[in-house]
Amino acid sequence: MKSIKRCQHIITLFLLIFIAGMTALVVKINKEASFYMMNSNKHMLGMVYDRNGDVLFDGMGIGEYEDNYFIDVGNLIGDDKGQMENTLVARNIEKLNNYSFSEGLVREGGKASIHTTLDHYANRQVFNAYMGTKGCTVAYNYKTGEILVCTSIPSLDVTKGYANIADFESGTLISKAMYGTVPGSTQKVSTVITALEIMGVDKLFSKTYNCTGSYINKNGDSIDCHFASGHGMQNIQQAIENSCNPYFAQLVADPDMPLDKIEKVYSKLGYSLNGAEPTYIDIDGIECETASTVLTDTDDFNTQWGCIGQSATLVSPVQLMMWQSAIANGTGVMTMPYLISMSKNVYGDVTELGETSYSEQIFSEETAVTVKQMLLTNGANHYGVSIGGYSVGVKSGTAQVKEGLEENSLLVGFLDDERHPIAFCIMIENKFNTPVTTEQIATVLLNSLCK
Amino acid sequence: MIDNPFSFLFSCLFVLAAHGAMLFNVFYNGNYESTNQVILLAAAVLGLDIFYYIAMLFFKQRTFTVDFMLILILNMSVIFQSCFGGVHLSVKHFITCIAALISCRIGYNLTRDHRWICSKKPYIWSGIGILMIVILTLTGSRSMWIDLGFMTIQPSEFIKPLLVLACATSVTEQQDKHKVLCFNIVWENIILFGIFAVICLLQWWCRDLGSIPTFTAIYGAGVLLRICYPKAKFSKKTLAVAGIAVGILAVIAIKLAPEYVRDRLFVDIWNDTSGNGYQQSQALIAIADGGWFGKGPGKGFLCDVFAHESDIVFATISEEWGLLFAVMVTLMLLILVALPLINPPRSYYHGTMCAGVCAAFTIQMALNVFGSCNMIPFTGVTIPFISMGGSSMVTSGFMIGMIVASQSPVFKKPKPKKKKKPVPVQTQRGNQS
Repeated sequence: MKSIKRCQHIITLFLLIFIAGMTALVVKINKEASFYMMNSNKHMLGMVYDRNGDVLFDGMGIGEYEDNYFIDVGNLIGDDKGQMENTLVARNIEKLNNYSFSEGLVREGGKASIHTTLDHYANRQVFNAYMGTKGCTVAYNYKTGEILVCTSIPSLDVTKGYANIADFESGTLISKAMYGTVPGSTQKVSTVITALEIMGVDKLFSKTYNCTGSYINKNGDSIDCHFASGHGMQNIQQAIENSCNPYFAQLVADPDMPLDKIEKVYSKLGYSLNGAEPTYIDIDGIECETASTVLTDTDDFNTQWGCIGQSATLVSPVQLMMWQSAIANGTGVMTMPYLISMSKNVYGDVTELGETSYSEQIFSEETAVTVKQMLLTNGANHYGVSIGGYSVGVKSGTAQVKEGLEENSLLVGFLDDERHPIAFCIMIENKFNTPVTTEQIATVLLNSLCK
Repeated sequence: MIDNPFSFLFSCLFVLAAHGAMLFNVFYNGNYESTNQVILLAAAVLGLDIFYYIAMLFFKQRTFTVDFMLILILNMSVIFQSCFGGVHLSVKHFITCIAALISCRIGYNLTRDHRWICSKKPYIWSGIGILMIVILTLTGSRSMWIDLGFMTIQPSEFIKPLLVLACATSVTEQQDKHKVLCFNIVWENIILFGIFAVICLLQWWCRDLGSIPTFTAIYGAGVLLRICYPKAKFSKKTLAVAGIAVGILAVIAIKLAPEYVRDRLFVDIWNDTSGNGYQQSQALIAIADGGWFGKGPGKGFLCDVFAHESDIVFATISEEWGLLFAVMVTLMLLILVALPLINPPRSYYHGTMCAGVCAAFTIQMALNVFGSCNMIPFTGVTIPFISMGGSSMVTSGFMIGMIVASQSPVFKKPKPKKKKKPVPVQTQRGNQS
């Protein structure tokens, strides 16, 4: 009888293993069923709202909206048609589907929805302020990380479909704020941060360099200033206000700025260096590029030119904005941006709440406070009037693109106001072909958000 | 004839009620063009039920539990298979179910007397050998199928019950040890290992790697019950060495596996939904679409996917009948092979046989269910009795016959030796008189 028990033990073992597997399978299916459905062509999507309950995407098709009602967020919110992959709907389609394993697809009365942090009114105001000029603007609350505005031009009204996709302008289907662009002189903020981290405040402020209109480096390459007659002797504060290229080229070439230390600080800021694998910021599933550049030799033209914001340097507007948060907060810690404040399932139950999160410290508090003061001074001295009287810390930039045939205009900064802690990055493409300026966009942006 | 007629009648009614409820669901929720299709299906299912009840009355068995479970599961599978893609009686599957019932009777009759079947070991080994030769000579180029034109046969399926019988052992056999050098060897164990190794090599050659885990499970159960008999306990050292050896072999097998096998092992199905991940991704979508209670018989889309009736049948049932029902069916199959726990086998030989059958069934179910749901690599083996496939049906029926035999065995008493007529004792006194 004992030996027969042994046979029964073997049978029990096989049965238990199978039952354990079945239990795991049922749990797995229950948990992932929504994901499986999203990989089929059977969807019954819910709604996407802005922070005030205004509709940004109508998956049920139940509302009536005026023409181009969604155009300002078209390439950010997206849809489920598969033409745009890096959008809020495409990356969160599972949360938006009116499906549950028990109920199946709920065709009527499903309450699945995503509530975003966006301000549709402000977004539309900024979109309209571009007057058709290409570019993008992104702004967020640098205390909480809520993205308030993110518009990219050209855009599309997703309700009109893709019948004429062949006629779409280049860049229509992407939110440019998420992709790397030549930062121009806004890059100098990173170089200032690097210099402060390496030398400290006193030493950097003691450094003065002469600008005669151009600087010939050790290799004989010339780096020209936008002010042909030169700025003369300047310190770092004057150089950043003048956005003086020769000053920054000499700063990079300074023996007190060794290459390995520059690389270290740049890496901490999030740059992919010298062709390394690019990294991404995850904004509720949306992949946002960070920054990349080439640093080979501090006497090399491309390295110096890259630290000034040209050459191989690329930074996404979102990344530029996030660095502003680390400065504006005076902590050296970036507030991580997010778009989804709340999502609800098919029954209307809250399944997810957006939370403020932070990066690790990317530079010291002392550096943050110093750069903040420098940018505020720059704002007060040069932008106090043009940006509607707001107390802003800013840095502008002009980026040569398409091999110098076009120039983009950029403006990064933050509003120094406890009630409206807003950091932003504004970009206008081909600035010579448009009457719109980054300062005008900034004014509209801040007016809309501080209304 | 029947020890407990009340229990027998109740069981008959229970099975009829279960099938009736399913047919009722087909009638109300099913996808069919004409009611005649449902009536034909109902007639086939209920007719087979009643016929089998009557047939059972002529069998002398201690218990009919396994038989009731078997007819319940078989006719459930007839209903499932007849509903895929629209209600219509699946005649082929119905016939293979009858073949499984007959095969079960054959398995029962051949194995109920453990002494007799034990004495036929050389024939069992020969049977395995003949099947291997058949595979090598009659199947196509490195294939596992024999195409007869009107039907195909998978000879490797028939090796499974034979391997179970080869692995089964009695107490006497394990005591038949021979001293070779300093080892006590049971020759049968050495032969068994050789058979197992050749089977694995043959399966490898046939590119039927999906069956190797089933053979390994049968052999593993057999070996465990051999090395632990008669008094030895489960030696941790032995088990550890065996485990390590299996692990090393598995790693080597993966390294040496053909590219298409490695692709299957490591495929990300959601990134390859039109290639190697097609069947699994469609299966999972179908399960999600079916939910707990299904879309209704014949209303699924998975019937358009290749091997929906065999390799991914769990998902097809889930889609049309619901995950709850599909899980229930697999649990019923588990109960079928778990019956030896409730009604213990009457001999050690039958016990080892039941363990082998249980190993084969659970591993095949696991490979099919978990493979089609992307929890383990997809192998394409069948769920016994549920999947379409004649060879699988017949061999599964035969193996269930072994479980029936273990519950109602025959112990033939050895024929008594002829007694010599007693020689009359002549007493001294008699002689004297």
